[in-house]
Amino acid sequence: MFIVCALVPRNHQDHLPSGRGVINSGSCLAGMIKVPGGSYHPFLHRKGQPAVVKVYPFYLDVNAVTNEDFLAFVRANPVWARSRAPRLFADAGYLKQWAGDFEIGDDKIKNSPVINVSWFAANAYARWKGKRLPALSEWEYAAAAPPVGMNRGPQLTRIILGWYDRPNPTVLPQVQSTYKNIYGLYDMHGLVWEWVEDFNGVIIQGENRGISNFSCAAGSLNSINKKDYASFMRFAFREGLQARYTVRSLGFRCAKDCEREMLL
Amino acid sequence: MKTNRILLGLAALTLAACHRTPITKSRSCCAKENAATTATKFMPEAAGGSVYQLTGSWTDQHDRLLTLSKLQGHPQVVAMIFTHCLSVCPRIVEEMKAIRDSLPASVKEKVGGVLVSFDPERDTPAQMRMFAMKRQLDDHWELLQGSDNQVRELSMVLNVRYQKLSGGNFTHSSDIFILDQNGNIIQSLDGLGRNIHRADSILNRMATKD
Repeated sequence: MFIVCALVPRNHQDHLPSGRGVINSGSCLAGMIKVPGGSYHPFLHRKGQPAVVKVYPFYLDVNAVTNEDFLAFVRANPVWARSRAPRLFADAGYLKQWAGDFEIGDDKIKNSPVINVSWFAANAYARWKGKRLPALSEWEYAAAAPPVGMNRGPQLTRIILGWYDRPNPTVLPQVQSTYKNIYGLYDMHGLVWEWVEDFNGVIIQGENRGISNFSCAAGSLNSINKKDYASFMRFAFREGLQARYTVRSLGFRCAKDCEREMLL
Repeated sequence: MKTNRILLGLAALTLAACHRTPITKSRSCCAKENAATTATKFMPEAAGGSVYQLTGSWTDQHDRLLTLSKLQGHPQVVAMIFTHCLSVCPRIVEEMKAIRDSLPASVKEKVGGVLVSFDPERDTPAQMRMFAMKRQLDDHWELLQGSDNQVRELSMVLNVRYQKLSGGNFTHSSDIFILDQNGNIIQSLDGLGRNIHRADSILNRMATKD
């Protein structure tokens, strides 16, 4: 039995700078794991919306994208080099941990998650790989899975909150240095925060745009699960982001639709 | 009146676009600060420049393919909406029409309106054409359909927040953007009409330019 990737892009065209001359970079599902479908209880619940969201099966990278992975992307798409990336798509902190445009510098972080990448850069990387960023619901669903050998429950929340409390390490550890969850995904919590495709669907409260400025259809916010403090932290963090921002503790991993591969 | 201020702002933009008349507003030391602190959410420098750096092709209500850079050369009044929206979007569109209608004919002629749909699935060119007819949007308007990824990227550039709801509708922020002739976001306004006095900063912006 062979698993073959159908080379059908999800969208008809890539159009960020990386979209020009995109090369599909090899094996489709290497380093990915199929996350079974299920249901996700949104942290924010909207009036008139179901309290449970269905998550369809999808593939997710086992590890966060590393500095070395990202270097390969930048080499293939020099417009994404640190000194060249348009400021519209990445702020001045983009890849500042690197020694140069095409040079990581410190060998110790080669295999650590890439950080200081904007949403645009992460999105461009994902598309170059023939993948996409995970949807917020997919990421939260996958990340809610407990470590191997642990039951669902407050234990994972304690681990997460413990990590949120600790200051960023001077040298970011390598991928697979925290835990593997029951789906086989590493470091969903404990190393970096991760971009999701639709982080800008999040609204809790902002300086300029409170809930009042966010309306339409069945838009009003009904309730949040106040007990889920770890989720609240992530949602608050996403609320403060813009797609061009780069953050020292923010990386990403890629996802892929399941219907894209065919079983022969 | 709020519309007068927008009118002046757009007039200034249009004039600047044509390089005919220098903007003669005095260079007050405070003008720039005001613009930065009170009004504009995204100054072009801060936001990284022209929205037209997004290079994908969109389909308009006449089934024409175009890149955003085709909008270059004239100021544009821009918003993201979806045509099945019954509450907020019609008000946003009316507000945009009011902005254009408040301009002298010669200026209005040079200012475009752009509506980009959150809902590429349902907002086909035919649907957009119907919407344009219903809302009486003439040929100065472009109603654009793109891929999900393009829409998401544009929302990221504009800092519009939106989410698809179960049932196919969207919840979204309601900003209207004033783009200069090069695609720089000069101003973002609340599409529901509050805070529209912020359009003042368009003048500040133009006056402190060059």
